Amino acid sequence: MSDGRTTPSAELPPFTYAPMPDVDSSLRERLGQYPRVPDITFDALRTIARWTAVGLTKLQFPIEIRGEPPTGDRVALVANHQSHLDSLVILAALSERRRREIACLAAKDYFFEKPAVALASSLFAMAVAFDRTRYTELRRWTRILREQRRGTLLVYPSGSRRRSEVHDAILFVLASSGWSVVPVAIAGSAKAWPVGRALWRPFQPVRVTFGPPMTATPTKDLGAALAAFWSANA
Amino acid sequence: MGIEALPQPLAAYTALAALSVVVFGLFLRVTRLTAGWLPYRTWLVMLPVVFVSLWLGPWAWALLITVLSIYGFKEFARATGLYRERLFVLAVYLAMVAANTLAYFGRFGLFTVVPMWGVALLTLVPIVRNKTEGMLQDFALSVLGVVYFGWFLAHLTYLATWDGGLGLVLYIVLATQLNDVVAFLVGKLFGRRHWTTLSPNKTVEGSLGAFVFGITFAFVNWQLAFPQLPWWGVLGLGVIVGAGGQIGDLTLANFKRNVGIKDFGNLLPGHGGILDRLNSLTLVAPVAFHFVRFFFGGFP
Repeated sequence: MSDGRTTPSAELPPFTYAPMPDVDSSLRERLGQYPRVPDITFDALRTIARWTAVGLTKLQFPIEIRGEPPTGDRVALVANHQSHLDSLVILAALSERRRREIACLAAKDYFFEKPAVALASSLFAMAVAFDRTRYTELRRWTRILREQRRGTLLVYPSGSRRRSEVHDAILFVLASSGWSVVPVAIAGSAKAWPVGRALWRPFQPVRVTFGPPMTATPTKDLGAALAAFWSANA
Repeated sequence: MGIEALPQPLAAYTALAALSVVVFGLFLRVTRLTAGWLPYRTWLVMLPVVFVSLWLGPWAWALLITVLSIYGFKEFARATGLYRERLFVLAVYLAMVAANTLAYFGRFGLFTVVPMWGVALLTLVPIVRNKTEGMLQDFALSVLGVVYFGWFLAHLTYLATWDGGLGLVLYIVLATQLNDVVAFLVGKLFGRRHWTTLSPNKTVEGSLGAFVFGITFAFVNWQLAFPQLPWWGVLGLGVIVGAGGQIGDLTLANFKRNVGIKDFGNLLPGHGGILDRLNSLTLVAPVAFHFVRFFFGGFP
């Protein structure tokens, strides 16, 4: 029977410190990193900014949603890109759970050079940095995506609002990492907020069409299949 | 217009700060000390933030101190890994907001028991989390956050609410910052003997230079910042800044060495993190506050 006393260990374990993985990163790097390291401040600000942005988007633009928004984990929404409004419109078309975890791949050299732009992109549009100037970037993303057990990505494979042709490399990375590619077609956003205009035109109708996951499509044909989907739902 | 005609020392200090910025900028330009431009540019942002909040009034100053406390503790929590335990971090944030709110409203009795209530709140976290692993360390680090980074810094808010306390705030803030600079410069120019493993670059000469500067600077500011104090009160303040500033600096240096990091962050280019800038101030503010309050009953 126990006498109620415990034997003290010969040596107490010392305090061990495990700094956060991004402790040496700059503010811009922390805003653009994927996977995101939990951060009370950023998470709270992102929630407020996201609700504000989505609320204002819904208020200003009649959004028609076609098809079924995606379900399941490790989903990559692959959309055509013609306006800064695209990400906000897609966010508005998704569930809050999906919005919370989504990461929108955004050009590092455009969105993450200035702290103010990085802050706005990360908080309002859930952007993460994709360095299109580094040739090792795709390899880095392949490693990241293979390690991720869950998540939702928003990818614009054209890489720019001014281009429409698809870059196959990012599609190959997504498919080879086992992520489910879901085609998304956006129509009307180019008119609502055209490239080169400082301000948007409110009350223009916008349509978001979700296609079925392209699980059966061979990787080499993904680009063509996406282009066909976007064209059919333009 | 003489200094005595100014309504309060803030105007004079603002003018002096603006003049210092110009003079130091010219100094950097003439000497072509390129390494000095980065911290200088950061000062160009930090100084307006400090002075604008002081001009706006105690509420803005309280807000600034609260934000700095929270961000400073966040850097500490991220460096130690405590940040993974969100409930501990949120409890410390809450204690910081409470300390600064009570300081702003001048509720001294409640202000002095903030650490007790803060620690009491922290005791609930392991129970709510129903977890034992690592809780002793996290609890201890959070207590440090409540007392050292929260309650200690909140004394700066309290000081600003005293009649005539603004001079003391300005002196403490400027003196602690200049103290670091003097210790660095004297150490670079005359430093020979290193004296502490907590911060191996510190020299006896640099530390003595900063100590002497702290006392001299107190007497230079006497009539402008705290004319109510007798000479020995000024001497006391000088000693507190001259010695306390360095002790605060070494304390944070010790924390960093324990954790194994160089800086607490990189929010302030050329300076490091918020805590790297507040290291001296954190300790000096409460000691100076209670020194003045104990011997002179605050500024009546």
